[in-house]
Amino acid sequence: MTAFVASLRYEFRMQVRKRTVWIVPALTLVLFVLIGGSLLRDLFDPAERPVDPRTAVVGLAVQLNALLSIGFGCLLADRLIRDDRLRVASILDATPASPRARLLGKYVGVAAATAIPVSVAYFGFAAAYAVDTGEPRALGWALAAFGALFIPGLLFVAAFALAAPLVMPAPLFRVLFVGYWLWGNVVSPDMMPTLARTLVHPLGGYPLAAFFDFHGIDGQDTWAGPIPGATLNALRPDPTPALAWLSIVLLLIIAAAVLAGGHALRTRRIR
Amino acid sequence: MRIEISGLTKTYRGGVAAIDDLDLAVPTGMFGLLGANGAGKTTLMRILAGIVRPTSGRVTVGEHDLGTGAGRTAVQRDLGYLPQDLGVYPDLTARQFLDYVALLKGMDDRTVRRRRVGELLEVVALTEHADRRLRGFSGGMRQRVGIAQALLADPQLLIVDEPTAGLDPEERIRFRTLLSQFAGRRTVLLSTHIVDDIGQTCQEVAVLAKGRLIFRGTVEELTRRAEGQVWSVVTDGPAPTEGTVVSALPHDDGMRYRIVAPSAPRPGARLLEPGLEDGYLAVAAGRGNASRHPAAPPGRRP
Repeated sequence: MTAFVASLRYEFRMQVRKRTVWIVPALTLVLFVLIGGSLLRDLFDPAERPVDPRTAVVGLAVQLNALLSIGFGCLLADRLIRDDRLRVASILDATPASPRARLLGKYVGVAAATAIPVSVAYFGFAAAYAVDTGEPRALGWALAAFGALFIPGLLFVAAFALAAPLVMPAPLFRVLFVGYWLWGNVVSPDMMPTLARTLVHPLGGYPLAAFFDFHGIDGQDTWAGPIPGATLNALRPDPTPALAWLSIVLLLIIAAAVLAGGHALRTRRIR
Repeated sequence: MRIEISGLTKTYRGGVAAIDDLDLAVPTGMFGLLGANGAGKTTLMRILAGIVRPTSGRVTVGEHDLGTGAGRTAVQRDLGYLPQDLGVYPDLTARQFLDYVALLKGMDDRTVRRRRVGELLEVVALTEHADRRLRGFSGGMRQRVGIAQALLADPQLLIVDEPTAGLDPEERIRFRTLLSQFAGRRTVLLSTHIVDDIGQTCQEVAVLAKGRLIFRGTVEELTRRAEGQVWSVVTDGPAPTEGTVVSALPHDDGMRYRIVAPSAPRPGARLLEPGLEDGYLAVAAGRGNASRHPAAPPGRRP
């Protein structure tokens, strides 16, 4: 437990001090607003914003999650390999601390630190919306959306971002990750095979549909379930609350498996 | 804390044998480890530190078998390790880095931990810089942080790999003294290229070559291995090619060479008293006088 807490504490501290952890999401948001990012401006326009506070803050969660997760994954890509690059790994490996506990602490610590600007942005906009509309319920929905959408998705991304650079250069991972993210979240599943709307969609299509009854800002979108003619429909059963929980659990299981694989690979290399 | 190594082999992927059927006993106190690059010193130290697993063989440290997970963890609780390629987190201060390592070493009590970190910062003369980020530290200062982290848990076994690399002469002497004072009833395994560091601190020494033990004995015994083989040659011509040139100094009549060779490398060569470095070079070149001065190595391949 001490190793986990120590690793979490110091990895969090080192990551949260990195200026890029703050600059990247800030620039992303500024660029998004400048190029006309819909909800970030529409939230404060009574004529344009959704009437229902749940739709507003869940829609905001979808947009920010899709947008800021790209920088989130890229910012984590050097965190595991840097122990070897900085030549600190030998000192840490010679301590009696469990390597698994250290890895888990690093994972949670760096993911939490990198998620802070994301959560500040999300809850900042949600709070501003709640004040602007006089709808305190918006904050409750924001909390629920953060727990059901952001946390599983970010943990999923963080596991890949830590482990994948063990088998490829971090810059290559970043390029591939951005490609995956656009493919998996933007491209329509009936155009080409994609994980969008499946149970392992990191944006949380099943929780969106089953927990929040969210169908997009204009109520026209489908976030989970089968799509006629699309491949991978076996991963797209009709959404239910149970399947929404299953989707979250699957994302966390995959994250754990990826981390375990990364740990095994690194252990095999050094020994 | 006695270390017993028997039949130890480490073969890396690709078939490179870094350690080859090594037998070695390391007693309590300061023990030196010498060898050329690639001799297997660092691999041996990484095995003893529980970082690398041997391919075969047995290593016990005190009562603990390094072949078991419990044994490795028990040894690591009593271990201080200063690796050759020491690195630090540049974004932490010296105090934070030491605190982090102390936590990983299981020093849970905050008061005890902070006091110990403060003491060691004092010992390595970094108190004034304790709250500066390590990013701005010189190589020597980082090395001192490395030394401090190795001593954090008051280890019974201290493994130091090239510890004085990057230190200036005063720091080197201070560190050697610190190691000797620290040793006492503990075991300190010192690996270095700097033969003088071994001569100044260790009573016993082992020499590795290509993963095998080629000498084990006292520092005096290693020195005597070059007896009758150390020559002084003064020449204004080319350097002698026989034997191993230990040093070359400008001289009124050309250059004065100190050479380790089994016989006089030039007519008129003058026989000298050997030093530790001469003994090491004689053993490394396979010319040590083992028959005249048995070094009483306990291993199978002295």
